[in-house]
Amino acid sequence: MFAESDVRQMVRDVLADLLATPAGASRPPASSEVEEGQVPDVTAVSTKDEFHVPNPANRTAYLEAKQKTVARLGVGRAGPRYNTWSMLHFRADHATAQDAVFTDLDDSLVKAQGFVAGQTLCQSKDEFLTRPDRGRLLDDETKALFSRELPHGGQVTLMVGDGLSSSAFVNIPDIVPAIKQGLKGYGIDVGPVPYVKYCRVGAMDDLGALVGSEVVCLLIGERPGLATGESMSAYMAYRPNAERPESWRTVVSNIYSGGTPPAEAGAHVATLIKRILDKKTSGVELGL
Amino acid sequence: MADLLVSVGIDIGTTTTQVIFSHIVVEDLSSGFSVPRIEITSKEIVHRGEICFTPLLSDNEIDMAGVARIVEREYARAGIDKRSIATGAVVITGETARKRNASEVLYHLADFAGDFVVAVAGPRQESVLAARGAGADVYAKVHGTTAGNYDIGGGTSNFAMFDQGNLAAAGCLDIGGRLLRIDPAGPTVAAVAPKIQRLCADQNIALRAGGPAGPAELARLAEAMAELLAMSLGLLPKSDFYPQILTEPGRDIVLPRPLANLCFSGGVADYVYADSSEADPFRYGDLGILLGQAVRRSPALGRIPRFAGAETIRATVVGAGSHTVELSGSTIEYDPGLLPLKSLPILKLTEAEASSGATLAQAVRSKLEWFQTDGHWQSVAIAFKGPRSPSFAAVQDLADGIVAGAAELRAAGLPVVVIAENDLAKILGQSIRRRLPGQKGFVCVDAVRVEEGDYVDIGLPTAQGRVLPVAVKTLLFE
Repeated sequence: MFAESDVRQMVRDVLADLLATPAGASRPPASSEVEEGQVPDVTAVSTKDEFHVPNPANRTAYLEAKQKTVARLGVGRAGPRYNTWSMLHFRADHATAQDAVFTDLDDSLVKAQGFVAGQTLCQSKDEFLTRPDRGRLLDDETKALFSRELPHGGQVTLMVGDGLSSSAFVNIPDIVPAIKQGLKGYGIDVGPVPYVKYCRVGAMDDLGALVGSEVVCLLIGERPGLATGESMSAYMAYRPNAERPESWRTVVSNIYSGGTPPAEAGAHVATLIKRILDKKTSGVELGL
Repeated sequence: MADLLVSVGIDIGTTTTQVIFSHIVVEDLSSGFSVPRIEITSKEIVHRGEICFTPLLSDNEIDMAGVARIVEREYARAGIDKRSIATGAVVITGETARKRNASEVLYHLADFAGDFVVAVAGPRQESVLAARGAGADVYAKVHGTTAGNYDIGGGTSNFAMFDQGNLAAAGCLDIGGRLLRIDPAGPTVAAVAPKIQRLCADQNIALRAGGPAGPAELARLAEAMAELLAMSLGLLPKSDFYPQILTEPGRDIVLPRPLANLCFSGGVADYVYADSSEADPFRYGDLGILLGQAVRRSPALGRIPRFAGAETIRATVVGAGSHTVELSGSTIEYDPGLLPLKSLPILKLTEAEASSGATLAQAVRSKLEWFQTDGHWQSVAIAFKGPRSPSFAAVQDLADGIVAGAAELRAAGLPVVVIAENDLAKILGQSIRRRLPGQKGFVCVDAVRVEEGDYVDIGLPTAQGRVLPVAVKTLLFE
């Protein structure tokens, strides 16, 4: 046992020693030299394939289990903390999610798809994130544009929004033609596709009320998690308007290359839209 | 919402014929916020039929009417209407598969037993069915290990091994309890199968049909058989005689990983697990009990930890009734009028051949010729792995290739059946449909893995038409 005064003295001594050491002597030498090569990309290997448990009883079975989930199983630890690899991978995945939320979608990508581009009442990313209510309403200019460019009272309006992930737009070139082809197979033609910037799911109600089509299908970026920033959802509703409850919407989520492949999801969405048209209802009442 | 499928399993084996009925429950496991994920969630055996001797008209002919009577009686006992049977399988196994009228009996019974009852024959599939029936697959998966099952029957011994949940090896040896029959009065040898006669000669064991059945000789023969089983698993060096005992010449059992656990099924298995030294060895008038005792005592086979399987003598029939049918993926596209499709041979494309529409069309056209019989086109299923998460454009290219490659089939009025492994059947099916307007004639499913030489049956839709039951099988008669 030490008396408190002894401890104080020891701390004082240690600090004095440290302060007496010439500055920088214990640090790596400052250098302007840039080494060749690159720091390995921690995200190059999927978390499903990384395994850091030392001396596992059954490595094969553990790896097999890991293939079924994106949860970070078997990442190992250093005392009570993550090890360096886990920490860096976590930070990298979090950065991907942040980028997906905060990056504006490049307008040229929207233009290349030939979409009719408008936006909600939100004027900036900040406003979009802090005012969900304004992300559900189209601004006046957009309403006028959509009124002019989109057919009224049609069967199906296919609509695209950035939502909480602009990275999810990567699915669009595969899912949109798949939905159109599937609907065409049922004898349903889809008109021009409106694109809405700063779009919340509720914006489909505003659009539905504006164009009066039977079914509105909104393809929108999902709030990213740590598994991917590219996941997209398809929300569908029969004669949507702001009075309808959330349960009125049918949704297919988890659309991305690692989930339901976008082209396959599009084919499935076309079937659902047909079913909504036939049953004249959507969401919980559709009874899937 | 769960669907219940009533399934029948019928096994016509060397010694016995058996029937079981099971309930297979199919449910959508998806959250409701994603695409459906319809899976088999439980399998329960609801009726185990009596174990009957397989009725024969002669050494080379099965008594078809006799087998049908056994099946009919079990339907009555189980109180099951044939029309309520949704699926199932008839498997003809062991020596019985070599009878003159084996294929005739098999197809006849499959039709007799229900609308979508699958006809199965072939030693390696028999091995897989028995191992699944005994639960070796589940054991390997649950314990995260390798597990094998040796089904020792009257005419053959069938081995299959699973690594985790996956099939790792399968094979078959002409070793069985009924290959030497004994007349207990004497006792004398009533009959010996030719291969076993050769084994006796090789081992200098003085046993021949009509001759005395000496206990020492019988014990030595049973021991020699157990040693051959051990050789097949690499537990003893393979003798010069060993290759002769393989049911399919040249198709030895190859274990990709060491076998960690082993169980036994088949009629002989009960004498492997239980001490039967007090029993009358000639109770069944054959070598079965002595063979079981020899396997039980074999030091070589004893080196692999032994576990008790879920079934012994009924393993194969349970495998046929409960484990033959799997489900397709849950997003697929098909014309319902074409179903069920039975015993389609597989036209398997390599990954290189299926890499573009042009190569795919070319490969389908040239391989289709293999399936011509007497100058007539025959229905086939075009199978390939397919890309993971393909682009829309890539799917269009594949659809072009399939439609072009299958032109001869369509001209002959035959359906276009496509089987992929990866999740793309719905978009590929819709793309094919667009190219064949007004034609009813295609089925496109995924999440099914098949190999060249396999056959496939595709049943009537279930789960509100969202999935199709699929049976991948072999059809090998000798």
